[in-house]
Amino acid sequence: MIENAFDISKELLHIEVEDSKINGYRFVTATCVDLGNGTFDVIYHFDKDLELKNLRVNVKKEEELPSISNIYFSAILVENEMKELFGLNIKNIAIDYGGHMLLSDEELDSPMAKQQIVIEKRKGDK
Amino acid sequence: MGKSGKSGKSGKTVIPFGPQHPVLPEPLHLKLVMEDEIIVEAIPAIGYVHRGLEKLTEVKEFTQNVFIVERICGICSMMHAQAYCQGIETLMNIQVPDRAKYLRVIWGELHRLHSHLLWLGLLADAFGFESLFMQVWRNREKVMDIMEETAGGRVIISVNAIGGTRRDMSPEVLRKVAVIADEIKEDMMQLEKVFMADYTVKHRLVGVGVLEPDVAYEFGAVGPMARASGIKQDLRTTGYAAYGELDFEPVVETGCDSYARTMVRLREVYQSVDLIKQAIGKIPDGETSVPVKGMPNGEVISRVEQPRGEVLYYLKANGTKNLDRLRIRTPTFANIPTLLKMLPGSQLADVPILILTIDPCISCTER
Repeated sequence: MIENAFDISKELLHIEVEDSKINGYRFVTATCVDLGNGTFDVIYHFDKDLELKNLRVNVKKEEELPSISNIYFSAILVENEMKELFGLNIKNIAIDYGGHMLLSDEELDSPMAKQQIVIEKRKGDK
Repeated sequence: MGKSGKSGKSGKTVIPFGPQHPVLPEPLHLKLVMEDEIIVEAIPAIGYVHRGLEKLTEVKEFTQNVFIVERICGICSMMHAQAYCQGIETLMNIQVPDRAKYLRVIWGELHRLHSHLLWLGLLADAFGFESLFMQVWRNREKVMDIMEETAGGRVIISVNAIGGTRRDMSPEVLRKVAVIADEIKEDMMQLEKVFMADYTVKHRLVGVGVLEPDVAYEFGAVGPMARASGIKQDLRTTGYAAYGELDFEPVVETGCDSYARTMVRLREVYQSVDLIKQAIGKIPDGETSVPVKGMPNGEVISRVEQPRGEVLYYLKANGTKNLDRLRIRTPTFANIPTLLKMLPGSQLADVPILILTIDPCISCTER
């Protein structure tokens, strides 16, 4: 297990992330891990004085996960990346590329996931 | 370059910047919303060179991944391999020989030197100072020659292995490295005057792209971007490899602008020379690697200070030769949001300098 990691529910995600911001943590990144059993671990990494804090949320495939970009704007790239590469259903990203930050129409959906998921497209997209 | 358009009611113009542009060695696209010459909004678009290397590491053996992560980026290839190896070594409880730790510092700082010299040269080229560009790169060539002599390659040097280093440096070579490092420092001290005091250089950099400390921290800036905004943040101070045995302080500037970011990188050139010489003075005799037995298991996070800032490696192993997951967050990935903060309010003419000032590495960002 990684040090200083806490399992939380997705309902508590915003509260914990806001708490991290109030307490002076820098958002480092998030990591998505496909567990292969129909669920994903999403680990949010924060740093304060070069010490990491990690919040782990387990979500089922296609289950909605709130974006934290309204708290930490710097999460926009990684949230779009996870949405496209793993098919995570992340809602309300501050800048949502609608599945086209990295992938084009011709490419496979959710190429990093162990089982492919068709992600939501913007209106008008083919 | 693509098309630009003007929306009739708002009077705003959208100008596409990149993905191909003389100032960009790699493809990055920015959609700039303009009012006259002033940027009001910038939206980045990436995805032109995504290679899926994280996925590739899941199907290769964990020992082969060293060579894959080295190829994420040429400029900091050595440190990608170092971060990966350190992660696996932690998972497998491998004690790396002290000599290998010092060698990692020497090669790592050589990489930082050539990265910062490359950036300083590109900056000079971006504002049209070609002789300065050539003088800086002349010095960079000396670093490349050392790497070729010590490792056989100029860019991807493949010196890291799980358990230590693949190569050693003889006392003669170490002495030569110290002499060349001194030469580079001497040359750069001559060129420093141009970067610090030339009217046109200062005109292009001072007060351009101001990133206040609280904003830099909130937007997750790392490396020279953060340190030029007064944030004393340098992972080398955690003491990984042999940094814990060396005497240094993070280079911090408080100007918060493009000039401050130039000064940080310039001063870090001298700092790297100093660290190389300290490491050469203290390097112990002994083995450079230990044998690796078994398979990694568990989760670990490994972080290293690359020339552009913090890189984070998350590794999840399952006791087999293949990893479950390798996640890499590179410094440019962290610094792009700061660009979106700096661009609004800036002049269109300053966009190339502002993009360059974050020292973007798109190969790293997209992996």
